[in-house]
Amino acid sequence: MKTDHELIREFQDGNKASFDELVKRHLPNTYGFFIKFTADEVEAEDLAQDVFIKMFKALKKFRFESEFKTYLFRANINMSNTYLRRNKWRNMLHLDQAPEQGYMDTSYEDEWRKKELWDGVAKLPSRQRMVVTMRIAQEMPYKEISDIMGISENSAKVNYHHAVTALKEKLQD
Amino acid sequence: MNIEKRFQQISQSIFETPDGDSFIEKLHGERQKRHVKKMGIINGITAAAFVAVFGLITTNQLTDDPAAYASNDLKPLEVMDSETEEYVYDLAEYLVESSDDIWETLAFLDNIEFEPVTTMHEGGIQ
Repeated sequence: MKTDHELIREFQDGNKASFDELVKRHLPNTYGFFIKFTADEVEAEDLAQDVFIKMFKALKKFRFESEFKTYLFRANINMSNTYLRRNKWRNMLHLDQAPEQGYMDTSYEDEWRKKELWDGVAKLPSRQRMVVTMRIAQEMPYKEISDIMGISENSAKVNYHHAVTALKEKLQD
Repeated sequence: MNIEKRFQQISQSIFETPDGDSFIEKLHGERQKRHVKKMGIINGITAAAFVAVFGLITTNQLTDDPAAYASNDLKPLEVMDSETEEYVYDLAEYLVESSDDIWETLAFLDNIEFEPVTTMHEGGIQ
């Protein structure tokens, strides 16, 4: 099986099928990230599509200085931050449609708690939000998170700790 | 519920990934659509800039003085002053008179459309 870098080189040489192969290979991870982030299949697919459209342009200038997986994950994080900046979180999480606590059945309650948690994550400072997102959505080890974010492993752990403390406080309100 | 447990719940949630082929098809469709839209915007801006520059250049060439247009319209295309005219006529006459073959010289003057001299000398030749 060809490596990601081999496929990117072929794509840079004009072979579009190599790009398609790359998309197929990384679609589950990317879509998985956004589905956990948004809890909405349509939104998740749209976000994944946006990321790969950006990749189509960006890969023509890819300099092979990092792993494609890392590069793609940074793009995922940037994409989710863009959505956060546009204040689309409330729409994405459908918070307005959440029913009153007293009327929720158990299955819906779990879903509501997830949304409540993501809402809390959305309100965290940027660095903490990124660390927590990577931990929740991809169960990524701190080493990998520190590589992606360009910070030390300890800094990633500290940010995660602060984020969890802040979330606990927020969700107890 | 414990926060870590909630994290775990989310990270372990099951989802179905969209079909790769149809995703790629939609991806390229959307990419093309955006490219066409982008080109449309670029072309629109280019056309607007061209019209603006062309309009500015044209407007700058206009003058508010109507006499300028009137005098231009009424002016003959080529005007020789009397001194030049006299010199040209003398030159033509000299060419005709000093040439070995008068017909060849007249044909030359005819070629350069020097009608006045040709007409002037028609009587003389006869």
